[in-house]
Formats: sequence, C-alpha cells, structure tokens
Amino acid sequence: MNESSQDDLLLMNRLRAILLKEDRTVLNQLHDTLEDPELLSKKVAPIIEEHIDFLKKNFPKEFHNSVNDIVDKRIQASQNELIDALYPVLGQMIKKYIAHQFQQLKDGIDQRIKESLNTKNIWWRIRVSLLGIKDSDIVLRNLDRPKIEEVCLIQRNSGLLMGSASLNPTIDKEVIAGMLTAIKAFVEDAFQRDNEELEMIQYGSYKILLYNFHTYYVSVALSGSISSGEKEKINSQLQTFAINELKDYKPQNLDEMNDYISEKLDYYFIVPQREALPALVENEQQASKAL
Amino acid sequence: MISRKVILTGSFGVGKTSLFTQFIYNKFDDKYLTTIGVKVNKKSLDIDGEELSILLWDIAGEVSQDKVPVSYFLGASGIIYVFDLARPSTHLNIIADIEYLKKMIPDGIIKLVANKKDLVTNEQIEQIAKKINIPIDAFTSAKTGENVEELFSQLGKDLV
Repeated sequence: MNESSQDDLLLMNRLRAILLKEDRTVLNQLHDTLEDPELLSKKVAPIIEEHIDFLKKNFPKEFHNSVNDIVDKRIQASQNELIDALYPVLGQMIKKYIAHQFQQLKDGIDQRIKESLNTKNIWWRIRVSLLGIKDSDIVLRNLDRPKIEEVCLIQRNSGLLMGSASLNPTIDKEVIAGMLTAIKAFVEDAFQRDNEELEMIQYGSYKILLYNFHTYYVSVALSGSISSGEKEKINSQLQTFAINELKDYKPQNLDEMNDYISEKLDYYFIVPQREALPALVENEQQASKAL
Repeated sequence: MISRKVILTGSFGVGKTSLFTQFIYNKFDDKYLTTIGVKVNKKSLDIDGEELSILLWDIAGEVSQDKVPVSYFLGASGIIYVFDLARPSTHLNIIADIEYLKKMIPDGIIKLVANKKDLVTNEQIEQIAKKINIPIDAFTSAKTGENVEELFSQLGKDLV
C-alpha cells in the first residue's frame, strides 16, 4: 500500500468516527443494556407487566371464542371418556338420593303410625288406611327393610373385640373392631366436641351404627335403609341385652367371655334375622308383585 | 387366647409400616407410601403354648410423640418406638418421646427399636448407640427381615 492510500484510509476512519459517533454511543448503550440483566429487566419488565395486565383484563374478550372452540372440540372428541368419568359419580349420587328418599318416606310413615297405633293386629291395616297411608307406601316400606349383618361388642379404649355375631361370614372381626375404634378415635379427636361421639358410619346404603356404653361400645352393621324408629328399636334391644346379659356377668377368662357374649349377641340380634328371613323374602316378593 | 393392643410409633419414614408388613405378611416393599391415620392388623403368636393375638396399630409418623392423638394409646399393652439408624434427625427426640410414652402407658411395655440396620455398618451402629445413651431393645431391618420376628416374639413373651 502506498503512502497516499494509507492517508486515505486514515482519513476515512476519522470521517467514519466523526459521522458514526452518536450511533456508536447508542449502540454501546444498547449493548450494555442487553448484557446487564438488571438493566435489561428494568427496560423490559414494565412492558411485560403491561402486557400481563392487558391479558388479565382482556383474556375473556380476546380468547373467549378460541377457548370455547377448544373445549367444545375436546368434549366432542372425548364423549366416552367423559361418560366413563361421570357415570360412577352420577350412579352413586342417584343411589344415595333414592336411599335418602326411602328413608325420609319411612320416617314419615313410622312417625304417623307411632302417633296413632300401638298394636299390630287386624285393625292396623284398617286404621292405616283411615290415616290415608297408601298401600304403595306400605309396600315401599317393606321393600327395603334394614337387615342386621353383624354385631360386635368392642372394648371402648383398646378396641379389643369382646364378642361378635354375624349373619354371613366377614373378614377378621378383631381387625374390624380395631379399625372401627381407630376411626372412632380419629374422628372424636379431630373434632373434639365435648361429650359427643361418633354414632354412625355410612357408605352407600350400608350403615354401621355405633352405640356407646361406659366401658364398651357396640357396632351394628346393617344393610337397607333404617328409620329413626328402627334405630331406636335396636338401641332399646341393646339396653335390654346389656341389662340382662352383661350387668352381673363375671367372666372367668377372656376366651369364656368372648364365647359367652358372642352367643348372646347371636341370640338377640342374628337368630331373629335368620328366622324372619324366609318370611321377609316372601314378603318382599309379594310387595314387588303388588308394586 | 390372649389379645393385646400394641402401638407402632415413631417419626415419619422410619419404617414402621415396613416392620408391620414384614411382621404380618413377611413381605417388604421398596415403595414409600405415607400412612394416613392408623392401620390396624392382627397376628397370632404361640408363646410357650399360649396363643397370643397381637392387634398392631400402625400409626402415622409424627416428629414428636405428643402430636399423636392420645386416644390411640388408650388400652395399649405395648408400644414399639421405631427410629431410623440412617437418619440422625430421628435420633434427636428419642429420650423425650420415650418419657412421654411411659406416661401414656405407665404399666405397659415399651420397646425401642433401631430400624434400617441394612443401611449402616456395625461401627456406625455402635457410635449411634453410644450417642443415644439409652438401651435399644432391637436392631432390625424391615427390608431383610433381620430381627423382626425376634422383636415381636420377645414382645409377645413380655406381654403374656
């Protein structure tokens, strides 16, 4: 390169430096801003916040149609899955609703009968009809009678089984007694309501009624729906059982006690069920026909 | 037959449910599923010709025993307090917890159990035992089953 062209280059660089001075300053500032997270954040954050605010305020307006379209398409495409997901829930709800309605109906009938009737003779039907209770109501009441499935007498604190009787074989009753006591303790401890105890556990149309005594409690597992009158009847049977069989009973040992209590529970609660069962089945069949 | 209620307690994740499962079913599962509330199960033991039915209450782990609902301890004849040999944080409350449990069942039997023996060396076990400075009744591994049967068998003898 000769001397003249070197001078030209020098001149050109100087000229460039003069002309681009401002641009280079701005470019350097921009570069600094981009490289420094704090500076960049200061610049960008307000813009992002503004956009987020805008989206928050205008999301329904701006995206309403798009979201609706997506949801509609998703529902259309997944109808079977939706039905599968909802069916058990709806089924359970309907079942519970019907059981509840049955119970209310039975409570109403029981109340009316209790108010006006004490005997169970031939006049019962006549008087029931005079009260304006329909035959269909009586039929309905007979359709879903409560059935005692199992009775357990359980030591109150330890949850150890003192005796039991059941209509059909179930899983280990000692484990049932322990688990029931644990649930009872958990609920009573969790809510800490003075002098209040767990009285019933329900799943579907199956119920476990808990009757609390001083040193033990009795769990009565039953299927079918039960009115408050019928609950009261079981309570009174239990009181009779406790007074007649447990009040003066002095066991020699735990085995003997378990056998004794189991035998008595069977006699008081399960034997009457077994004896009534054929008549009950016949009754239910007749009721179904009449309905 | 004699029935006794026994509580399995201790901090969370120390292997109570694994001991419970190993004792009742002779099984071990690597998956950790935290216990919610209580799980009750039963196992019968033959103690010198006498049949003993142990109702075992596996209680959800708590960092400190005074957090466990008092009603769970009612009527219990024995308590197995478990800690984790491989987790020093579970060694911190042992003495206070044992004192508390003694008040819960003054006439009952309390067993202090060091679990997860398979995760530590014999030297480490010695160091931990020295540090805790309270007699440990059993060093178990719910995973391998080591000393689990012996623990319950000894407890059974004490209960009869």
